[in-house]
Amino acid sequence: MSTSLRPEADMRRAARLVRWYPASWRERYGAEFTELLLAEFADRPACRRRAADVIRSGLSARLTVAGLTSHVIEPSDQVRASLATLCCALAAFLAFGIAMWSQLTTAWQWAQPDTAATRAAMVMMSGAVVVVAALALAGAAPAAWCAVLAAVRGRPGLRRPVLLAALGAVVLVAGSHHFENGWPGTGALSWAHQDMVPGGVAAFCWASTLSVSAYWAHPGALLSFPGAEIAWMAVSPLAILSLVAGAATAIRRLDMPARLLAFQARLASCVALGMVGFLLGAACWVLAGSVGQGVGQGAPFRPGLIDVLGLAVMAAALLTAARAAVSARRGAGLALPPAR
Amino acid sequence: MPGSGGERHAKGNSPEALGTFGRYAGPATLILSSLADGAKHGYALTRDIEDFSGVRLAPGTLYEALSRLEGQGLIEALASADRRKPYQLTAMGATALRAHLDDQRRVADVGLRRLARSWSTR
Repeated sequence: MSTSLRPEADMRRAARLVRWYPASWRERYGAEFTELLLAEFADRPACRRRAADVIRSGLSARLTVAGLTSHVIEPSDQVRASLATLCCALAAFLAFGIAMWSQLTTAWQWAQPDTAATRAAMVMMSGAVVVVAALALAGAAPAAWCAVLAAVRGRPGLRRPVLLAALGAVVLVAGSHHFENGWPGTGALSWAHQDMVPGGVAAFCWASTLSVSAYWAHPGALLSFPGAEIAWMAVSPLAILSLVAGAATAIRRLDMPARLLAFQARLASCVALGMVGFLLGAACWVLAGSVGQGVGQGAPFRPGLIDVLGLAVMAAALLTAARAAVSARRGAGLALPPAR
Repeated sequence: MPGSGGERHAKGNSPEALGTFGRYAGPATLILSSLADGAKHGYALTRDIEDFSGVRLAPGTLYEALSRLEGQGLIEALASADRRKPYQLTAMGATALRAHLDDQRRVADVGLRRLARSWSTR
């Protein structure tokens, strides 16, 4: 092996490449992998294929740590990692999905949907919301009980994530409750017509996802909003992030019995199916709402660019969640659907 | 070095473990074959594999396969004062490699026999 003429530069180059890997991988393999890279640099100073290979491998290691592959992680770790990833994917899905759904349901307080397809799509989405919410509750309740037991027994590393999640939840609920009356015609207004979804629920969901808005692309229009509402649009995503990051970290660190992990893995598959139902409804609405409507007719139900973007985000989140659900089932030793 | 570390990873892995490596089966076979005659660190593995197979494993691919092999208990890292950590075959790894190479030899034998029968006179 020849000696590199630029050891400092090579060290920096190697360090940059190693950063593609997750922290846990770097802790285990970082030093020896850096040595290998330095030897490779000495042999072949420039090699784009090598850099591409390291980047691909680093991303693959990150997927593994997130429980999205079937390799290396110990089975119970894999289930927890997959559940944490599913939790993050579900949060991204719901942030955009609930924003879309609540806009439609608040619109329905005033007028009937102008196409049968839109009505059917909203029924599908509403049904999926109920199913996913029930499944999420069924999964969260025993996990929260385990977290309480672990905290009582003095399990280290759980207090911070649990507090972070609790803080996010309190801010999100309190803020959404405060701003839910900002939508004219729902919330506390008794004269609003209530149809498929109670106005209060629709308004709460609308307020909690107020930040998912096309107004960010129109600063002039955005600045005409009340200052408190703009502040909430900035704070609410942070509250959601805090809630999700805390919950995901707690799931990763929580020791759950094997039977509970298997139960959670089964729930994960059901959640992914619920997400499919919601996404189908949303896609149906975007397609139905895009065609056959005259100007000025059914405006509240007409999809915009933000809804198309939302669909794309939800589709990506669903793919991630489905992969995580399969990985969780594999880790829990449950039967998988036959491979084609 | 047989028998030195198989017990530590005994988590129900079978000698067929190499068959579950998918697209990493190739690099895994090369790595195990290289380690069959003694422990080596990453760079020594790269050079040895290049010498006997003509394939130069890129660093990312090499360590991806190494971490999977270690996770399956087919190889293990040896303690070292150096930053370069040598790896050695475990008993389970030797069994898996033998089974995998036997399978490959059976396939190669069939292919060569059929080639000899059908193509030797053309």
